[in-house]
Parts: sequence; structure tokens; C-alpha cells
Amino acid sequence: MTQNVETPSILDELPGELMIWVLIVSELLVFGAGLAVFLAVRLTDPVGFAEAQDHLHRTGAALNTVVLVTSGFLAARALRLREAARRGAARLALVAAAALGAVFLVIKGAEYADKAAQGIAWDTHAFFTFYYLLTGFHAAHVAAGVVILLLVAWRDEPANIETGAAFWHMVDLVWVLLFPVVYLLG
Amino acid sequence: MEDLKPARQTVTRPGLRPDALTRAWIALVALSGASALVAALAGVQIDRRLAGAVVLALALVKSRLILSRYLGLWRAPSWRRGFNLTLTLFGLLLLALYLVAGVTS
Repeated sequence: MTQNVETPSILDELPGELMIWVLIVSELLVFGAGLAVFLAVRLTDPVGFAEAQDHLHRTGAALNTVVLVTSGFLAARALRLREAARRGAARLALVAAAALGAVFLVIKGAEYADKAAQGIAWDTHAFFTFYYLLTGFHAAHVAAGVVILLLVAWRDEPANIETGAAFWHMVDLVWVLLFPVVYLLG
Repeated sequence: MEDLKPARQTVTRPGLRPDALTRAWIALVALSGASALVAALAGVQIDRRLAGAVVLALALVKSRLILSRYLGLWRAPSWRRGFNLTLTLFGLLLLALYLVAGVTS
């Protein structure tokens, strides 16, 4: 009698759901293209871009990086806790991760309000067009991520937490690439 | 059939060395601080181009940590290599675009 033995696919090696990885790669491509175009357009006016960048609040953005990587840590920890059958601690970690996401949005909102007070809008300079486009699109993902984290804290099956946390890590990953390019490369 | 996925990380018991996830978080916070510091010194004590290269290199290290420890690619070495290679090439593209602007300005 012959036995059908399935050869494991390389896709099986990926942790979690395949579709969340499709989403992660798609998002990285979109933001990656945006950052590359940002630096390409900067070639046309490097001095203007540097002057525009001086209006950004780098300390606030650096603080937001710490907020986001800490939030990511809590989301990753939540999955380990849930797998160890510590549901309450896992839920607490997810809610704390979502709260830090909200802190990120508050700091981002203060940053936008500061720009508005300075009379800076998306069309003030090409730098700010990209700044608002990239950071605004990212902030929209943060807002979605906060909702997702709260959702998986409620429906706390390990697979749900793994998928929700993976989305959150993608948001984290995009930020650690976006932050230096937009805020630091002068 | 035997589960092909390697065992997951376990939660560290109190009093022991921080686990890989906690070490990754500490490293991410430290690297973020280092990025901000290098950027603050750019043009003052460090050449701008060098500072830019260092900031991008630090971003690359951070992204690798997130992929490996937060997203769990340490359990999928071939995928981790693929992502790392792609991100490194992307980082080199960004660095080239950044440095070319310095030459043309």
C-alpha cells in the first residue's frame, strides 16, 4: 500500500497566517516605494528639504519610536502569555499595547497641531506633502492597529492574537524605517 | 504527523536572564536612542553623510530585530534571510539616494 506523504511547503515555515504575511509584504512595498520616492524627489531640492525638516519635532518622533517598539513588545508578550494559558495577563498586555498606540496618536496629533500653528500645510513644500502623506497613512494604520489589538484582547484565541500582533509589528516595522528617513536624514 | 514548526519561545521565569523578546525590546530602545543621538550630532561633530549612513544602518538593525523577534521569523531562517537581504538592498538604495543628493547640492 502506498502512503501519500505531503511535502512541506516553505510557506509552512512562516509563523502565523499566510495572508497576514501577504499584507505585511504589500504594506512594506507601498511604504518602501513612498520612502524611495521621497528621497528621489529630495534630489531636486536637498537644501529646501533640509530646511523643511528642521521644522519637525525630532524628540517627539524619537519618543514615539520608543512608545511603538514598547507597544510591539507588549503585543508579542501577549501571544507568549496566551500560549502559556495566562489569559488575563495576555489581555492586559494587549490593552496596554493598544493604550501605547493611542499615546503614539496623541503625540502625532500634537505634532500636526504644531505644524498647523506654524502655518505649515501639505502644500507648503514638497517635503511636507510627503511628510503628511507618509506619516498620515502610517497613523491611519496605527489607529486601525489599536482597534485590532482591542478586538483580539476580546476574542483572545491564540491564532487571533498572533494575527493581530503581526499587523501591529508591521506598523512598528514601517515606523522604524520611516522615522529616520523623514525625520533624521538631513 | 509531526508538527514541522519549531517550538515557540517560552516566557522567562522571574529572576533569570531576560528572554530573547525582552532583549530585543531593550536593544530596540537603545538603538532608537542611538539614532536620535547620531542625528543630533550630524553636521556638528559627525560628518552629515556618515551620520546618515549610521542612522540608516541602525534602522536596518532595528527592522531585523522586529522581523526576527517580534514577528517570529527566528523560527523560519530561510524567510528571515530573504527579508533581511531585501531590506539590506532597500537600505542601500535609500543610502545611495541620500548620498547622491549631497553630491548634487
